[in-house]
Amino acid sequence: MSEVLAIRDLCLRFRGYSGVSEVLHGISLDIRAGERVALVGESGSGKSVTARIVLGLLQELPSAQVEGGLFFEGEDLNRLSRRQWQALRGTSISMIFQDPTSSLNPVFTIGTQFAEVLRRRDPGLSREAADERAGTLLQSVSIHDHARVLGAYPFQLSGGMNQRVVIAMALANHPSLLIADEPGTALDVTVQAKTLKLMHELVEQSGTAVFFISHNLGVVREFADRVFVIYRGRIVEQGPTPAIFEDPGHAYTRALMAAVPRITGGGLPDLNDSETAFLEPMVVHEGGDA
Amino acid sequence: MTPLLSLRQVSKTFGTGPRAVDAVRNVSFDVTHGECLAVVGESGSGKTTLANMILGVFGQSSGEILFDGKGLPTRRTLEHRSAIQLVQQNPLSSLNPKRSVGASIRLGLDVFGIGTRSDRWRLVEDALEEVGLPGDFRRRPPAALSGGQCQRVAIARALACQSRLVILDEPTSALDVLVQARVLRLLEDLRRDKGLSYVFITHDLSVVRNVADRVAVFREGELVECAETRAIFEDPKVDYTRQLIGAVPVISDDELKLRESLSGGLPA
Repeated sequence: MSEVLAIRDLCLRFRGYSGVSEVLHGISLDIRAGERVALVGESGSGKSVTARIVLGLLQELPSAQVEGGLFFEGEDLNRLSRRQWQALRGTSISMIFQDPTSSLNPVFTIGTQFAEVLRRRDPGLSREAADERAGTLLQSVSIHDHARVLGAYPFQLSGGMNQRVVIAMALANHPSLLIADEPGTALDVTVQAKTLKLMHELVEQSGTAVFFISHNLGVVREFADRVFVIYRGRIVEQGPTPAIFEDPGHAYTRALMAAVPRITGGGLPDLNDSETAFLEPMVVHEGGDA
Repeated sequence: MTPLLSLRQVSKTFGTGPRAVDAVRNVSFDVTHGECLAVVGESGSGKTTLANMILGVFGQSSGEILFDGKGLPTRRTLEHRSAIQLVQQNPLSSLNPKRSVGASIRLGLDVFGIGTRSDRWRLVEDALEEVGLPGDFRRRPPAALSGGQCQRVAIARALACQSRLVILDEPTSALDVLVQARVLRLLEDLRRDKGLSYVFITHDLSVVRNVADRVAVFREGELVECAETRAIFEDPKVDYTRQLIGAVPVISDDELKLRESLSGGLPA
């Protein structure tokens, strides 16, 4: 199977007033066509910056130093000009952010924003044609009164509705890679469950690969085919989802699993406070290596 | 024994006329001494309105709130205010960024007249040590602390006021799972050692399962089910409760089995 995305030895440093801080210490991962890969870790572990590097957004910051190989469908992303990279975003690679209501522009209607997205691939598209395409896409995310939604502003819709709009937009141009940064974290648990189920169905139909970033192990278990666990800028464990959850090999992964409260009860976990074991070398499960 | 807190047919309406919103409707429940009652529900279900009425931020539109068997007036006395304390969701925004954390804790002691003036810094340090932080942290601003440490400070602030009932409004939602586990453990230990009662507001049902004695499920301002934690999770009587439990993302097969046995399906 061909790789949609390959990251090789990615390092990231930020230059600040107090010197240089290292954020990523050489992470490597790859995503095959149609595969759902999750990157799990705590806040500050380097999940979101990885996504932003893939989109080429972080490289534009003067304080960020990015090193390492980035390959999208076999093409070396580091060799692209800014304009070429810009052309990839929203067409071949798209992204869904954590809070749907603040990732949509509050001063334009959903219809206007949808047309803008569709024109990225099809610049000459008329507004009528765009509205019609948007209508069918909204149908696919089970929004049936699409005329009302297209005429509405983001703040007039609920969080769950906005999230579905964002998903429809992200998949509108048939990207080969969708980056989802904590989708659903800002939503109620029932809405989150519905949104994830919907996203699951859609990416399955369209064969889109998903790079899924989350801190919620339960969500990852239900959504991803393969999991990478990241701790302080290093991948500590990788493998197929069932292997990781049934037999976590790394001390950090085990601590994470133990810390998750279970709905079957059993009380609160006793945590071992020693974190030195978290810096042990990476554990790779069979089938986790591409 | 009289319960520590009782709500009797409490309602709250915001606004008047056709645009009035019934945020809480006819809610009655008790919290006994040393109990942890979880209040669960989705956004907009009235959880925070309920907390604000118990705290006295605003009065109820009708009904009665009793503390220790006596009616709570809308205008609270100092005694009531110190006995009922709040821990909020995001500690970085609930602590004053311009004060040292010690000064934030001390403010309560000054207002409520707890201890003598010369004694209060020692009380502040004791409170910090009780939540597992070094006493000399009192000089630091909140910005110099991690999220978990800030939440410990917020808990220390509530404890220092000699509270008997603590309203925990999503106390661990903003924290990482490892930090969450430690803060939950701390809350459990403090409840046992000090005989505190908690009203634990959250939308995270897997946390509820492991910390609460009883659970009150809210939907659109109404109390739809209130029972012992085990009963809520093993034999929920209301469809909505089933749906809530059915939507919780889980990490083990045992949990999956429990969830499927309830098989509520997702709400429309």
